[in-house]
Amino acid sequence: MVNVTADTGKSQEKTINMSPWAIARRKFLRNKLAMISSFFLLTVIIISFLAPYITTADISKVNISQMSLEPSGEHWLGTDKSGRDIFTRILYGGRVSLLVGMSCTALVILFGTIVGAIAGFYGGFVDSALMRFTDFVLNFPFLVFVIVIGAIFQGQIDGLTILIAVISLLSWGGVARIVRSKILAEKENEYILAAVSIGCKPSKVIIKHLLPNVLSTIIVQATILFAGLIVAESGLSYLGYGVPQTIPSWGNMLSASQESDVLANKPWIWMPPAIILTVTILSINFIGEGLKDAFNPKSNR
Amino acid sequence: MLKYTIRRLIGMIPMLLLISFVVFLLAKAMPGDSLSGEIDPLNTNPQYIEEMREKLGYNDPLPVQYFNWVSGFLQGDFGKSTRYKVPVSTLLAERLPNTIFLGVTSLVITYILAFAMGIFAGRRPYTIGDNIIGGLNYLGLAIPSFIAGVFAIYFFSFNLGWIPYAGSVEVGLERGTFEYYVSRVHHVLMPAIVLGLLGTASYTQFLRNDIIENSRKDFVRTARAKGTPTSKIYNVHIMRNSIIPLITFLGFDIATLISGAIITETIFTYPGIGQLFLESVGNRDYPTLMVITMMLSTLTLVGNLVADILYGVVDPRIRLD
Amino acid sequence: MKKKSLLLMLAMLLILSAFLAACSSDNAEPAETDNETETEDGTAGEAQSGGTLTYGFETAPEGLFNPAFYGIATDAEVLALFDEALITYDENLQPEPGIASWETEDNKVFTFTFEQGVMWHDGVELTVNDWVFALETIASPDYDGQRYSNVQTIEGAEAFRNGEADSISGLNVIDDYTIEITFDQARVNNLVNVWSYPMSRAQFEGIPVAEMSASEQVRTKPVGLGPFKVTNVIPGEAVEMVKFEDYWRGEPKLDGINIRVLDSSTIVGALGQGDIDMVTLAPVNAPEVEELDNVEVITAPGLTYYYIGFKLGTFNNETKEITEDKEKYADLNLRKAMAHAIDRQAWVDAFFFGYGKPIDGPVPSNHWIAADSADLETYDYDPERAKELLEEAGYVDVDGDGFVEDPNGEPFVAKFSHYATGNPTFETRAQAIVQYWQEVGINAELEMTEVNLYYEMIEKDDPAMETFFGGWGTGADPDPTALWGSDQLWNYPRFKNEESDKLLADALNVDVVGTDEELRKDLYVQWQQLVASEVPMIFIAELDEIWGLSDRVENVTFDVSGYNNPYEWSLAQ
Repeated sequence: MVNVTADTGKSQEKTINMSPWAIARRKFLRNKLAMISSFFLLTVIIISFLAPYITTADISKVNISQMSLEPSGEHWLGTDKSGRDIFTRILYGGRVSLLVGMSCTALVILFGTIVGAIAGFYGGFVDSALMRFTDFVLNFPFLVFVIVIGAIFQGQIDGLTILIAVISLLSWGGVARIVRSKILAEKENEYILAAVSIGCKPSKVIIKHLLPNVLSTIIVQATILFAGLIVAESGLSYLGYGVPQTIPSWGNMLSASQESDVLANKPWIWMPPAIILTVTILSINFIGEGLKDAFNPKSNR
Repeated sequence: MLKYTIRRLIGMIPMLLLISFVVFLLAKAMPGDSLSGEIDPLNTNPQYIEEMREKLGYNDPLPVQYFNWVSGFLQGDFGKSTRYKVPVSTLLAERLPNTIFLGVTSLVITYILAFAMGIFAGRRPYTIGDNIIGGLNYLGLAIPSFIAGVFAIYFFSFNLGWIPYAGSVEVGLERGTFEYYVSRVHHVLMPAIVLGLLGTASYTQFLRNDIIENSRKDFVRTARAKGTPTSKIYNVHIMRNSIIPLITFLGFDIATLISGAIITETIFTYPGIGQLFLESVGNRDYPTLMVITMMLSTLTLVGNLVADILYGVVDPRIRLD
Repeated sequence: MKKKSLLLMLAMLLILSAFLAACSSDNAEPAETDNETETEDGTAGEAQSGGTLTYGFETAPEGLFNPAFYGIATDAEVLALFDEALITYDENLQPEPGIASWETEDNKVFTFTFEQGVMWHDGVELTVNDWVFALETIASPDYDGQRYSNVQTIEGAEAFRNGEADSISGLNVIDDYTIEITFDQARVNNLVNVWSYPMSRAQFEGIPVAEMSASEQVRTKPVGLGPFKVTNVIPGEAVEMVKFEDYWRGEPKLDGINIRVLDSSTIVGALGQGDIDMVTLAPVNAPEVEELDNVEVITAPGLTYYYIGFKLGTFNNETKEITEDKEKYADLNLRKAMAHAIDRQAWVDAFFFGYGKPIDGPVPSNHWIAADSADLETYDYDPERAKELLEEAGYVDVDGDGFVEDPNGEPFVAKFSHYATGNPTFETRAQAIVQYWQEVGINAELEMTEVNLYYEMIEKDDPAMETFFGGWGTGADPDPTALWGSDQLWNYPRFKNEESDKLLADALNVDVVGTDEELRKDLYVQWQQLVASEVPMIFIAELDEIWGLSDRVENVTFDVSGYNNPYEWSLAQ
């Protein structure tokens, strides 16, 4: 870990009477890298979602008289080959990329948790049936199937919805496995046995007692997934199987680099989305590291 | 162990059957077919296209088509590519060696780099060198492979001219000569590094952390106390313990390389399976598409199996059966 | 005639070969040599011999290196270097004798005479039997290529295909160098339509027709009649050729040609570094290549054009009839207004970097049947006129939202469809069209549809297809019936016009035009005038073919039929 701070002794004393969540929060807040990353990510998210209020340029309007302009005062990052302002498209593109990333993460976590929790809690036949199914889904090469399924629905239903659905449907397996194993371990605890023996409904046991205890794992998983799914979206869009071309996304903007002229001579068209994408992923990774660290009772930083 | 492996292999059969079913349905559900693009009034005519649809069996009922495909598949008849008009197996035989070469080179580079950097950083934690490697690692974990590829071409091919930007070998070289193999390696280097980037970064990090952790363990303390030289402690005692878990990743690598190859081969115009796959999707070359999808799914299955088995081999505490 | 135009578009559109109809396969053939235009460096005559030229390809060949079996333009590009048709085409796309010369009195029975001593690359002499072999292969029921329409017109081909005859009755071999071919009826275009590539009988001996397309004689060890012979095929990457010393027109000057497949993104870099000597360029790459010192950009008129079609009706595939039942764009003034709204010149300049020009009718202007623009009703960029026409047609803005409503006062939304592939420029150029319409008050919407689905929707007259973007080409045989006849599936706008059908039929009718090319052209001009005034399509642009040639390449010239015979090419030492 790069971000070692050396104030271990003192903080440990203070944390004795704190709840685990408070400890985690405290640790996270002290993690400089994670905090900077959170701040950056938050800024990107806010700016992206406020894009319509920040910039007035039209994102889809092609402007023949302003094609491929270098960065200038009027166009901070220049214009692309259709005369559209790159800065504006970065903002709108971020909105789409982050939206896809978030929606997919939410869906994946939701589905993975449900399957994992049910399998882990009930065990036996339910468990083996659900896990067989999970294995089945996990055995599909992700990219291959997203492309094939995407090709089926391309142009038929709203492209963005389809993309989110397809990515989510193929990605929940890992979460389900992790949640299941956590639940399996957790349910052996006496308080769960007690809850079950006094006649708590299984749904209540899962939601009230089990899930809060695996929440930290889920949160860490969600950050890792968030980064991975943004990459998946942009990679697919780069290949032409992702977000429909009419909608700007970071991946779609990057696909301009497939033209040699753009790649070699007009780096202002492809570098901004490439850099912002990488930095965003980087910051999400740092946040993920920070969270993992914060939730880990053994780490004393 | 053998019993377990056999059981797992048998367990793969229903899984593969199920996957074949899904693959088939998906392929059939794609809009258009291999003939829907053939619109050239001077070259062909609608009657021909209709006739070919009939000949290729596109008009048969779906269960019949599925049965024909699966039974052919089991007999080693993968069908004939509708685009290249050759048996898919021939097509694969042309492309597969390239992808395998790319994959293996990538693995070799990944492991060499990861070992070098991981050991270096692990022995000197919290020094400048470690921090630099750590920084590179974070970057390697964050940068998507296609962005890395694009940057690599921009800097190393266009601006510096160090590496070729396309193909698997220089044209005009005699197959089998020394130059030929040099050229092949030269061509595969950059795609392989890009393909292995994520793996390199995560293994380096893993190895570094593992070495640091192990160096705090009792057996190291004992060895130190005995007066064993530091280099021997690291190279023998610690390495042995740190390498073991790394080996188990090998199985997962197979699956990762497959997906990675699709993007990397496309960016570097490297004629392998990944490129062929994307082409077959674009051209609705169903026989090729289905075979590659089946092949990649099988490889993923095998990869997972290898991972599990290696895990058992390395860590006897895990009982496989 | 060459498949250049097709290749060019292909590379640009990154999609299937067939999507653009370029020139017909049977005409895929380098231009004749003796009446060539002068070379661009004027050093012809004392060109040095030797050297190997590297020819860059943007798309990988499929590897079907036989004229009877190839499917995509890229393969035809390779074929053009090592194989040759019996008949060639001059710069006006008129047929002229090559290996074979012909005689006919009635356009039904033709006598072909072959040059003697023409050799296949394997050293076997070409005879008419090789041609018969090719024709019978294509007419075989097991044949899996798509050239049967070029053999169909020979008398007895149908019977042979149905298994009712052992040979094609219309083929009468007189001796090794003479053959008489009888067609099922007299047609103006029998000669340009008939399959004119022989196939080496010796090479394919013993290979069943069904297995030919997969055989090594087609794929890796093809044998042809052309100036170069294939020595090595690296599938998907390269084809290596050396000169064929016994080439019948004379020994080629180059030692060989290497074809190398490159990604379009690397073409410019490769040209700049001198890795490739010759390449067809997509318009997007051309301006960049212009700036290279060691490369020259050469343009030649192309034979393909882009259009925006209006769906006017539906096609019944059973009865082969068009019903003009789509009312939305039935108003001629509306179509004209939409045509006037588009600034085609600016559009071509912006998206094709000036390597093309607006086109006014359904025939590329360099074709010999093309009507002069002055004789056609044209629709220049004139937004004011467009607005007037809209008003005349009753399309006015009643609710004040800035967009016109239809004559009934209902909101009018014009949907414009364009195919989508991985190519990001498609979306912007389509968006530009939509904006032109919006500027004259038409509420237009863009729909990007995946390319495979796109043509399916067009063919099935899907209600979602209203106005659509497309491209067509013309070959040496100008007959446009397959695209415009009212009983044709590929008549995408579903344009139904009796006068048009009659003009097209007359132009092919021997009784009407005989062998008078001028008369035939007159009919086609009348037909173009008719189509231009009816506006079933807005004709957008015809594109140039663009070549990048390194400065060491000499004696390569281009015209509408493609490049000169490669045996003349040479490299500066």
